[in-house]
Amino acid sequence: MDLNYTPEDIAFRKQARTWIEQNLPKKEIRTLEDRLAWHRKLFDAGYLGMGWPKEYGGGGARPMEQAVVADEMARANAPAPTNSLGLGIVGPTIVVHGTDAQKRRYLKKILSAEELWCQLYSEPNAGSDLAALRTSAVDQGDHFLVNGQKIWTSAGAIADWGLLLARTDTKVAKHKGISCFLMNMRQPGVDVRPLKQITGSSEFCEVYMTNARDEKSYQIGKLGEGWAIAQTTLGYELGGRALARITNYASQHSRLVEAAKRMRRHGKPLIEDPLVRQKLGRIWAEIEVERYQALRTLTLLERGEHPGAGGSLTKLSYSELEKRFMELALEILGPYGQLTEGAPKEFQLEIDTAVGERGSWAYAYLWSRAGTIYAGSSEIQKNVIGERILGLPKETRADRVGGKA
Amino acid sequence: MNFSFSDDQILLKNSVRAALDEQCKPEHVRAMFDDPKGYSAELWGEMAKLGWLGLPFPEEQGGAGLGLVELALLLEEMGRAAYPGPFFTTVVLGGLGLMLGGSAAQKDKWLSAFASGKARATAALLEEHLDWDPAATAATAPKAGSGWTLSGLKRFVPWAHTADVVLVPARSPEGLSLFLVDPKSPGVTLTPMVGIDLGSRWSEMRLDKVAVGVDAILGRPGAAGPVVEALLRRAAVMSSAEMLGAARRCLDMSVEYAKVREQFGQPIGSYQAIRHRCAEMLLEAENAHAAVYYAAWALTAGAEDAAVAASICKSYVNEAARKVCGDAIQVHGGIGFTWEYDLHLYMKRAKGLEPLYGDTEYHRELITRHVTSSR
Repeated sequence: MDLNYTPEDIAFRKQARTWIEQNLPKKEIRTLEDRLAWHRKLFDAGYLGMGWPKEYGGGGARPMEQAVVADEMARANAPAPTNSLGLGIVGPTIVVHGTDAQKRRYLKKILSAEELWCQLYSEPNAGSDLAALRTSAVDQGDHFLVNGQKIWTSAGAIADWGLLLARTDTKVAKHKGISCFLMNMRQPGVDVRPLKQITGSSEFCEVYMTNARDEKSYQIGKLGEGWAIAQTTLGYELGGRALARITNYASQHSRLVEAAKRMRRHGKPLIEDPLVRQKLGRIWAEIEVERYQALRTLTLLERGEHPGAGGSLTKLSYSELEKRFMELALEILGPYGQLTEGAPKEFQLEIDTAVGERGSWAYAYLWSRAGTIYAGSSEIQKNVIGERILGLPKETRADRVGGKA
Repeated sequence: MNFSFSDDQILLKNSVRAALDEQCKPEHVRAMFDDPKGYSAELWGEMAKLGWLGLPFPEEQGGAGLGLVELALLLEEMGRAAYPGPFFTTVVLGGLGLMLGGSAAQKDKWLSAFASGKARATAALLEEHLDWDPAATAATAPKAGSGWTLSGLKRFVPWAHTADVVLVPARSPEGLSLFLVDPKSPGVTLTPMVGIDLGSRWSEMRLDKVAVGVDAILGRPGAAGPVVEALLRRAAVMSSAEMLGAARRCLDMSVEYAKVREQFGQPIGSYQAIRHRCAEMLLEAENAHAAVYYAAWALTAGAEDAAVAASICKSYVNEAARKVCGDAIQVHGGIGFTWEYDLHLYMKRAKGLEPLYGDTEYHRELITRHVTSSR
């Protein structure tokens, strides 16, 4: 056990920090064009797809190096690149499950953001029970015909391509009849409508597919393997943002402490209120424990091991912490915390969002509600932990009664 | 960067577990409840032979020269077994205290005696007002000849009745000082304080003009504050390790029970109400693990954040153990509330340690001081 960074990692971090200082956009990113320009800079510097194979445009980097770059980006409050689904989910899926031709055709253009991607998984009636999805892909001989509706498709409005889960066999158990495809979003049969969230913004879309066409060459893996592919996909992003996430929390905590020094209650600075001090101390402990856990995860990844269902513990832990943290922030900040406009500078929160919106405490608070729902709700994570780590028996489920599954 | 155990550390953990599984079964723990001394001299001798009693001490003093990560591994296993005896008080409070502030002669005398199993120790860190801040110490030590005479009231002194030497903080004319006191000295009165964890023994220790010589002082007179603080941090992290082990035992028992206990025609573990509770318990145990071993490493390595890591550790593990052990009783239902079922042995060990070496609020205040001053 040695929790010091190696001299190589320290040198690498310094190099990344210097590059970011020199290349960080001077003015706020407002348009997709601004963001694409920043994205290409990151790509040219080799800071995107760092862990992907070199032959397909990646950097062949170690998990620690990827985590360090993301961490330095967070430290500098650097804007995110675009194409986050392409980089985080679609690319890694193609790397693992795609054919050589698919890898050559798509990977580099994901990295360069020449093609933007979205993910077509959830449906109105298939959320936590994703395997109940009903979008169909019917084999027409030389292509598939796709019909159905997807929801919670992030970046759907700007995407050129989507990673699609669709049902190809209705006669087998529901998990076994699903296949994985690439989907050309720029065709008449695909209708994308923005979905306005409680934040007031529209990071997500609904996607309607009506007799949309999918070429045979777009199929990923074998027919019926879609569920298994989707399961592996969910685990790719475990290490990449492990440190960056904590750095974001830490800088938010620091902003909160500063705000508590300015505010007063009963004539005294809020930061002198023992109850406020207890709550700030508690949440700082929880943030630090997340950082320790990130170091454990990175240790595994550096050895080439995969945390497996342990990823469910990680996700459950930080997403629930984020909710507690943001509730505390709004509690301490009072009505300042709810401002989306007109907040004095000391009560603002400079966070970047993938769609280039200005950040605020209110926005971060509302977003914290999403984390325990997307990519498997906390309840689903607890099921996974209970069944796969603790070995507790599965629940009798209505859709499995009668030998159907 | 490597946050995992080495092969040697895993070997140590496995050998400690094997030994305690064999020699510290629940029947042994229960037998010691009724023992006047409260611990087995035979097992103590065995622990000396295995090298446990000198684990963190330098090799020159009969120790194994290992660090706090290894000591935490050992203590986690002791918590898991609810080991009854003065191990923690001797090795952590006495041993680490002497390592922090003792002279070469004091270390030579005592550390080798602890390591060989010949002597036991403890520390009297708490007074009637329960303030963990060493600056709040009220016991006095006016000069008397070349030495001092100690007076004061210490409470919750663990395993004092078995100790050959007690570390006692008191105010001498020079300021806060730390003294080595023989509890059999004239003027010392020990009165048992019986808590819910019968595997841990406490005493009230009354000192009435207890004469100690010039060689009884640990470090320089008036300079004990930083030593006591450093000792408290180590005790906080090491007691967290013990609590982690107790919580793990509670979690394991709950999961096994949930697999076999049937109600409404199914194992209760198949119901989400139970399964989700067990998943939350595992999350707390894993986070507690990270907090304990990070802090143990940081203290050993002298890391920049070692002090705050110790406070993060104790405050986090206090709540985690409370949740895990409490939920374990709930998962078990009625049987978990019976004396004959073993669950309460581990739950009480964790509960007994929760307020010691800094309670949750004490450490959270230290964390906030760190956070508000360092940036």
